[in-house]
Amino acid sequence: MLKRLFSITNIMFAAVLAISLIPGKRTGSQDVQIYTAGILIFTYVVFLVNSMLCKDKVRKQSMADIAAIVFGFIVFWDVITAKLDIMENMLFPMPGQIVATFIAEIPAFIEGLVSSIKLLSVGYVLALALAVPLALLIGWRTRLFRAVNPLTKVLGPIPPIVYIPYAIALLPNFTSASIFIIFIGAFWPIFINTLNGTFNVDRKYIDTAKVLNVNENTMLFRIILPAIMPSIISGATIGLVLSFILLTAAEMIGASSGLGWYVKYFSDFADYPKVVTGIIFIGIVVTGITYFFDKIEKRLLIWKS
Amino acid sequence: MSKLHLDRVSFSYNQQDSLVQVLDDVTLTINEGEFVSIIGPSGCGKSTLLSLLSGLNFPSDGRIVLGDKILEGPGLERGVVFQHYSLFPWMSARKNIIFGLEQLKDGRSHKELEAVTDKYLELVGLGNVDKKYPSQLSGGMQQRVAIARAFAMDSEMLLMDEPFSAVDAKNRSTLQELLLELWDGGEKKKTVVFVTHDVDEAILLSDRIIVMSAATKNVREEVAVDFERPRHRCTLSKCPKYINLRNSLVQSLFDDIDTMDEVESAV
Repeated sequence: MLKRLFSITNIMFAAVLAISLIPGKRTGSQDVQIYTAGILIFTYVVFLVNSMLCKDKVRKQSMADIAAIVFGFIVFWDVITAKLDIMENMLFPMPGQIVATFIAEIPAFIEGLVSSIKLLSVGYVLALALAVPLALLIGWRTRLFRAVNPLTKVLGPIPPIVYIPYAIALLPNFTSASIFIIFIGAFWPIFINTLNGTFNVDRKYIDTAKVLNVNENTMLFRIILPAIMPSIISGATIGLVLSFILLTAAEMIGASSGLGWYVKYFSDFADYPKVVTGIIFIGIVVTGITYFFDKIEKRLLIWKS
Repeated sequence: MSKLHLDRVSFSYNQQDSLVQVLDDVTLTINEGEFVSIIGPSGCGKSTLLSLLSGLNFPSDGRIVLGDKILEGPGLERGVVFQHYSLFPWMSARKNIIFGLEQLKDGRSHKELEAVTDKYLELVGLGNVDKKYPSQLSGGMQQRVAIARAFAMDSEMLLMDEPFSAVDAKNRSTLQELLLELWDGGEKKKTVVFVTHDVDEAILLSDRIIVMSAATKNVREEVAVDFERPRHRCTLSKCPKYINLRNSLVQSLFDDIDTMDEVESAV
């Protein structure tokens, strides 16, 4: 019991909380130090709740280690900015400042998120809906595959970011241009993975399906599609990450809303607390999306293992 | 339907500019309702022969006639059970069977298909694990599902390619008994072509055994097995006639391997 109470994480938490409440040298640091303490307490509570819900000892240990690293990072940041004031004030906001900005900016973030997600989902779903059936049809026909596969090797690796200026010039408005770019970014990884998956699909499933006399539709969508789901999903994951990168890049160039725009807009005004907060928020969004994606993947591949 | 006739069937393929002969001029007839085993040393083309019968491959020469029609690919009148991969891993045991039944497209409702599936899952003793995925079942259980699907689809002919060779000895004998029960139990006996490398298995199951030769890529000999059915492993193994048959078959396999070695060393 005592050993558990005096674990590294607990001792560290007590120490960093105490440090965060020492008055700092930077002007205004005392106004925001309550937020620094707040985020430390918040992190600790999240860690405690997760730790209590988790039965696995090894995972529990990692959670404690992660919490310790987070505490260390926050307190280091707090010390060099608020406490000792050795960093440039405008470029290096204090952690408490970031937390305060974050809370104040939540409505703006939600608005940006909605605008970004709209573009992302349209472009991404379009890519998914086109790439998968097309790749299945082409990959299943050897002659077509042999013709198309070399072309994908040329077109696929073009960094989609280079299409941004052209797409903005070519298409009537920013919305259509960014949807197009997201589409391109997601399309190639999904298409290439599905195409190769189909061409290299395990013959044993094909043979079994053939002796059951399945028709072409059944072969493509009830045999090959589930059989190559693992490679489709890995393509779809790469596509998702790429399209998110492209979306934020496109927003930084030509948008008037969205998360990428938010970061770019406030860096133009040198409002770095907002810039850093925006970056952190994007990190949280990406984590959320990846988390959901993992859930979907686990559900679709429940038959494996 | 009626008998299956292989008329001077050969099969070869090209590998790096040289022709590999797998089957050479095989002629044989399999009668309706007959249980025929094909045995032979590895490299004798027994599995290839089965893939020709299933329609996954085509003879390079000769023809295969089923009833009065030349075989032109897979057909639902022939059910196939492979060594260890007849099931789709993304479908539960039950779905695997229903999927097979759906391909018959015989106008039965989904409810009727469910009922047929239930019946065969019960028959193979898997009524309680029907919702599990193949990866959650043992090898023996997976083969039971495959057999259940083959019998549920009620094709007139069953082609089995070493279906029990990846299963442990105890499960293998259970599966052999199950297969015989299902084969014997139907209203009309199915024709079964059963590829195996296990001599005891062949004697226990078959009406006739065809020994293939790795040396000549052809039929070495055909042996009728006329033990009374139902057969029991224990009584059979004590019978002198069984011991003689077993010895002569094993001798035949060894002789063939010896001839092949001679042929190869001559080359």
